Amino acid sequence: MADVKALEYSTMKVPYEILNKKFRAAQKVIDREVSLVVSATNDLTNSLGTVPVKVGEITGFLDGVVQKLQSLKRKSEECLSQEESCLRHCRARLDHIKEHADERKSAVILWKKKRLDRMLVDHCLRSGYYETAIKLAKDSEIEEYVDIDLFLVSRKVEESLLRREIGPCLAWCYENKSKLRKFKSNLEFNVRMQEFVELVRRGDKMEAVRYARKHFPPANVDGTMTKEIQRAMALLAFKPGTSCSPYRELFDLERWGQLVMQFRRENFQLHQLNDQSALAVTLQAGLSALKTPHCYQAGHKSPECPVCSHPLNILGRPLPYAHCAQSRLVCPMSGHIMNENNPPMVLPNGYVYGENALRGMANENDGRVTCPKTKEIFRVDQADKVYVM
Amino acid sequence: MDACLSVEREQERLSKKYNSLKEHADSSLTELINQISNIQEELSKASKDDEVSPLQLHLLNQSSRKVKDTVSKIATEHKELHGGISKIGKAVDRNFVIDNTTCSQPGVFDGENASLLNEVLCEHLFRQGRLDIAEQLIEEGNLQLDDSRKEPFTELNRILEACRERNLDPALQWAQSRHMELKVRGSSLEFRLHKLKFLDLLKEGQHKEALEYSKHFARFASDHTKDVQQLMACLLYSRTGIGNSPYASLLDPVHWLDICDVFARDACALLGLSLESPLQVCITAGCVALPSLLQIRQVMQQRQVTGVWTSKEELPVEVDLGPQYRYHSLFACPILRQQCTDSNPPVRLSCGHVISRDALNKLTNGNKVKCPYCPLEMTPSDARQINFY
Ligand SMILES: [Zn+2]
Ligand SMILES: [Zn+2]
Repeated sequence: MADVKALEYSTMKVPYEILNKKFRAAQKVIDREVSLVVSATNDLTNSLGTVPVKVGEITGFLDGVVQKLQSLKRKSEECLSQEESCLRHCRARLDHIKEHADERKSAVILWKKKRLDRMLVDHCLRSGYYETAIKLAKDSEIEEYVDIDLFLVSRKVEESLLRREIGPCLAWCYENKSKLRKFKSNLEFNVRMQEFVELVRRGDKMEAVRYARKHFPPANVDGTMTKEIQRAMALLAFKPGTSCSPYRELFDLERWGQLVMQFRRENFQLHQLNDQSALAVTLQAGLSALKTPHCYQAGHKSPECPVCSHPLNILGRPLPYAHCAQSRLVCPMSGHIMNENNPPMVLPNGYVYGENALRGMANENDGRVTCPKTKEIFRVDQADKVYVM
Repeated sequence: MDACLSVEREQERLSKKYNSLKEHADSSLTELINQISNIQEELSKASKDDEVSPLQLHLLNQSSRKVKDTVSKIATEHKELHGGISKIGKAVDRNFVIDNTTCSQPGVFDGENASLLNEVLCEHLFRQGRLDIAEQLIEEGNLQLDDSRKEPFTELNRILEACRERNLDPALQWAQSRHMELKVRGSSLEFRLHKLKFLDLLKEGQHKEALEYSKHFARFASDHTKDVQQLMACLLYSRTGIGNSPYASLLDPVHWLDICDVFARDACALLGLSLESPLQVCITAGCVALPSLLQIRQVMQQRQVTGVWTSKEELPVEVDLGPQYRYHSLFACPILRQQCTDSNPPVRLSCGHVISRDALNKLTNGNKVKCPYCPLEMTPSDARQINFY
């Protein structure tokens, strides 16, 4: 269970955020429809105020009320079932996560396999390998438990930014306005700034000034952007090829790439995704927990040890080693654990092996054993017991 | 599990609220629409210039008030759902780890290491026989992967593919031609394939063929006595259906997933590849290690200890992964509670107890040293350096 708590936060939180967003949108729709009904009703009651009232004068208003009521009914049904389907999505993920505690061992094994697949899909999505992610999710039947849709939205925005189009990114900022404001995002400002730079680059200075006048002041209500805005306005005095700092940097096309990175970061933040994937976090912990100094010493590598294997060996290099306060001994001859059932024995040359392996060798060789490390030959009764606490 | 259950509770509460709002909105709006339609119908019997009667006026005013009350109530009730929604969010926040990146180094898998990590993923996918997904990853991740890295997996994949389509013949052929090699490894693959084939025949109602097929069990009877007896006992229920017999669990579709795993593992062993997918092992280890690392990290933050984590030497806690994840011998000095190294090697005292050289020096008093684990006293030069690796 501890691993579930440590790893499944965003699995649970992402669909929750989607439900929350859907709720807000629904509230807006319902509020609007309700106010339409109310105003149609007011029209009706106003027409009833001056007696006598003729039938022909009010039928139109009555039609209006019925129409608006029907529209409210249709729209609220639609909204509520969309919200319910978001809630069902939250539910489906929770149900899947609950399966980690299934009583059947085979079910748990399958669940863990799917968990690794979920991590891989997430890693691919974050790296922009969308087709791989989609294929893998389909193959593993985990589409409901991974956030493909969310990343496909960001894929559209990222691709447009790389084409130097700001429309989709601005639309995204608008759509998530209130949340972005909450964590003081300046993405929209930076995008506007980039558009301004592009206008200057094109030599369209009048348009650039118009653009700045329209978009910079609203972003600077609290005065925190004054410096940046001044720097940007000074750009109007320079040409794209300038070597003068900071204007050269403002003209740098690499800034589009930086916008993509900023967008990606804020999109993660918006959806409560951590900046390192579950795969990266878990793999690091696992590599460290398995890593021993032997993994990096020639002649000591083990064919089954993942840290000894290429390329994990290189990936594990910058990570800490496992902490070992308790001895754990493996017989170098047999690969079996050395413990009270297979006590360690030291040969006169100082090398230690398990008793079982030494006896086995001695039984076939007239009571003699050969040290695999030094090829020296000893009588098995020369081996002394070693007590490891 | 409690974490899941407390989120589930909130989800259930909200789901009930949605249900009741949906019902309420639907019925009350339908009622309003009917009510006004009735008035409309009554009025339609009169001519346009007729006067609306006082009773009708009263009804109209009454209905208008009701319309306004009801629709505002719907809007309010919808707004009140937000409380239930945010309770779900809070339950997730309370029960899951929000930031699980506190004990990992950012950027470890960036740059050149990103492609190395992708290589690891590719090999994992090859090993699982998911060739097309691996190819997609190679393409999207722009990987340069040698063909020799995937060749061993091609035949494997062909056979696995057949297994997944419930055609065991290629796997059986493969296993039978390597009968001895598999036997030496203690593999039960061949028997399990026969078992599955036999059960499949029974399930399809081909009793005669199943009985005939059971001759294949003969050579496994001594190693799998109980299994064979159980399988043959299934014949008792072949008429009424094994699904309703005490042996129903034998038909669990999970066995088909299992057989693919067993085949892949054993084939890897014969091909000289490690038994388990190195990625899988690391992730499994990581899932065990991560929670305790996060926990110690939190304790350290509370005590405002910083900097210890950045030590690239060792993790701050020992993570017990269990004996199956011990690939290397490690000797930890029981006095100093740390791993021995080349500069501080293990030494065996004349009584057989092993401590580290540094500990021996610390315990030495004049020219005498007393073993910390037994009454024996000796001179330090009696201690002999030994080698566990
Ligand atoms: Zn190793
Ligand atoms: Zn002693």
